[in-house]
Amino acid sequence: MKNFMKKNKFLILSLILLLILTIVDIRLSYQALNNSWKQILSMLMIVPPIFVLIGLFDVWIPRETIIKLMGEGSKTRGMILAFILGAFSAGPTLVALPLAMLMLKKGAKYSNVIFFLMVWSSLKLPIVFYQITTIGLKFSMIINITMLIVFIISALFVDKLFSQEEKNQFVEKANEYTK
Amino acid sequence: MSLEVYIIYGLAIVLLTISFIKDKHKTKKGLMKAIKSFSKLMPILIPLFLFVGILLTLITPAFISTILGEESGFLGYVIGMSVGSITFMSPFVAYPLGLELLENGAAYPQVAGFLVTLMSVGLVYFSMETKFFNKKAAIYRNLISLIGAIIVVGVVWVAF
Repeated sequence: MKNFMKKNKFLILSLILLLILTIVDIRLSYQALNNSWKQILSMLMIVPPIFVLIGLFDVWIPRETIIKLMGEGSKTRGMILAFILGAFSAGPTLVALPLAMLMLKKGAKYSNVIFFLMVWSSLKLPIVFYQITTIGLKFSMIINITMLIVFIISALFVDKLFSQEEKNQFVEKANEYTK
Repeated sequence: MSLEVYIIYGLAIVLLTISFIKDKHKTKKGLMKAIKSFSKLMPILIPLFLFVGILLTLITPAFISTILGEESGFLGYVIGMSVGSITFMSPFVAYPLGLELLENGAAYPQVAGFLVTLMSVGLVYFSMETKFFNKKAAIYRNLISLIGAIIVVGVVWVAF
């Protein structure tokens, strides 16, 4: 029972919130369900082609290539590649996670993978262009350059903070998720 | 539908076709993998997005405007970043909202803190990252982004 609750906490939390909303004002719960439906629909819209790309990536790109490009010995080049992959992407950050898993499985260094995730979350180019058109060039650039510097520094610290054993566990989990 | 969705569909179709011409068997294997990881992820993603939808009913752009308005002061920073960290919003909703907040008299640093946390820190991400990596990794990435947001607030405060 406890395990079930833990595994489904978002579902349970959602149901509780919906119940409260219904007591307060039933129109709110209709609206909530409508919002959720829209969220799920837009997620379902973008997710399938990304999974197709991930599947193709998995079968076509050999492990040796990723080890060479983004593995332990890849240094600055690996980070630049992680940046490019994160920046030239589309889709919500949640979708980047399976891709990150695949990179780990193929032998990419953990610091490169976490850097890729950070760049994807905040510095995706299509979003940066959109950002500039709404909140302006100066404001956008201050935000993005500051975040980029923070991300680079924090990626460099990852190897000191995570033991080899922890990193091996990540790879094990990655194998599990992309079997 | 936004442009990026078209681009990604186009890319997937083109690469799938090339892959199919080059090696049917490999392509089939890749597609099977795609379906498998898709079906593994859906039971996690659907409840999450259900939750996000409900959250967006409570934390509406209008609500955010009232808390990040003029003279909201220090509390405005704290609330802005907290709301940004908890919720999750499409950038196509978030940036116009940021602009609107500025026009309504919210300060640049406040809006910056809100937008940065909105994009990169999240309860939703946190739970997924805990599942895929572990708690420590999830805390690390989210905390770094939160620290980044605080630094951005400082830099924007100096620059504007």
